[in-house]
Amino acid sequence: MNNPITDIVKNWIQPSSNIIDFGCGDGSLLKELRDQKQTVGYGIEIDPIGIALCLDKNISVIEKNIDDGIDEFSDCNFDVAIMASSIQCLKEPNIALGKILNLSNKCIVTIPNLGYWRCRLALMLGRMPVTPSLPSSWYGTENIHLCTIKDFEDLCDAEGFIIEDSIHLNKERKQSKIAAIAPNLLSSEGVYLLARK
Amino acid sequence: MKSHRELHNFNSGIKLESGEVLSTFDLMVDTYGELNSDKSNAILVCHAFSGSHHAAGKLDNDAKSGWWDELIGPDKAIDTNKFFVVSPNNLGGCFGSTGPISICPENNEVYGKNFPNITVLDWVNSQEMLLSKLGISSWACVLGGSLGGMQALQWTITFPGKVKRAAVIAAAAKASSQNIALNEVGRESIRHDTNFYGGDYLKNDTFPKDGLKTARMLAHITYLSEDNMNKRFGRKIQDIESRVDELVDYEVENYLQYKGNKFSEAFDANTYILMTRAMDGFDPAKDFNNELQEALKNVTAKLLIIGFKSDWLFPPERGKEMQIAAMQSGINSSYLELDGQQGHDSFLFTNERYKKNLEAFLGS
Repeated sequence: MNNPITDIVKNWIQPSSNIIDFGCGDGSLLKELRDQKQTVGYGIEIDPIGIALCLDKNISVIEKNIDDGIDEFSDCNFDVAIMASSIQCLKEPNIALGKILNLSNKCIVTIPNLGYWRCRLALMLGRMPVTPSLPSSWYGTENIHLCTIKDFEDLCDAEGFIIEDSIHLNKERKQSKIAAIAPNLLSSEGVYLLARK
Repeated sequence: MKSHRELHNFNSGIKLESGEVLSTFDLMVDTYGELNSDKSNAILVCHAFSGSHHAAGKLDNDAKSGWWDELIGPDKAIDTNKFFVVSPNNLGGCFGSTGPISICPENNEVYGKNFPNITVLDWVNSQEMLLSKLGISSWACVLGGSLGGMQALQWTITFPGKVKRAAVIAAAAKASSQNIALNEVGRESIRHDTNFYGGDYLKNDTFPKDGLKTARMLAHITYLSEDNMNKRFGRKIQDIESRVDELVDYEVENYLQYKGNKFSEAFDANTYILMTRAMDGFDPAKDFNNELQEALKNVTAKLLIIGFKSDWLFPPERGKEMQIAAMQSGINSSYLELDGQQGHDSFLFTNERYKKNLEAFLGS
């Protein structure tokens, strides 16, 4: 699976880190991190097909709907938590982020940017935006808490999360220098490395 | 499927967790499939309460297939084309291994109530003796459901170097208060049977059949789910010709009467008490300040923990707790919550996901 954030995550993760990946899919990212960075990783996944593929790869996987809360992990300690492509689907993303940063020193989170110019244009033309970062129609989407890059960074500020690093993606969900110039307008998606103050 | 049944004698005896010693003991053991040349494909299957060494297929004069026949066999989840499956009857059992109905070599009398208390750790220790008698250095996997899952977990703790994988299915890291309470009602019913004689019924040439039957009827309800019982029996009235007892009205009553009767004819009451006690006493965290993750600290086996949504005897939460403790100890461990509709008994029945995930785990 070609996850656009794989390379970004790899650069941010120290060798031998202890990782939890919320919404790990088929376990590809955890496998790559294990093979290349000797990490110890656990994936959380709800899709049975993804779970079976994780077991095939010898990736530890926990069957769970993240929406049901992550309180059961509160006594666990991880170096890094990865929350790619699902934070905006949660009921209370701000609280979830706080909880993740309680059980993990750092958190890598991706956020689709509703402030992206293509989204703004779509809305200006009277349509809900559909982009590679927001691929579903309005009735099919699981996103219930969409925001812009600015909104997200404001939230981090308000909640006391430090943005240690951030990378902004273009329409193809690739790292882009242009997107980084004015991310709120030019990036389709932000990838953030967060820590607690 | 190549199958073999053998009574293994261990004349070096075993020191039990209670401190008591059995100077010699036997284990009745089934094997399915063939051991490969580097002896790396052996799987230990641990049975639950009322199970036996007979886990798959039919051997000798077996009237029916083994208790885990849905999962063990050629091309099944535990594929006997690939694995050499070893399935012993537990120490204290009543299907050929040394237990309360055996003759005590010291006084040539039936053990009866004098058979020592057996724990899950004792089973694991005796199974380890079996492992070395078979000339195998480690199990590719130890697995079991319910009380069998408890043995699998104990294996990873007691013999970390001798088990590569463990599947702990429909089990818990300790019996709950409710588990103990339900077991105690069963034991009470056996003890109050006038034929029990404090456990020495065989010496009195009798058997507490009614008490054992009632115990089993109660326990059997705990193995099923409410939904499953409703679907299967609903409020249907048993037709008069096939009533096992004239007091029976509903199909579900008839079913329980039938199951209870059959069980009480085939099982030993002292073994029943012994098995329930072993389950109640299981708590590997008790020696580690009640911290399961501490108990699991030296585990090197990979764990697959499976819970079933409709299981209320060992609900999925118990499995989740085990996985989280394993995760806190950095153990390669996965947790699955399967849809099985048959309550606690779901672990006995195969389905596509169950099979696929077990195969992936065993092959990884």
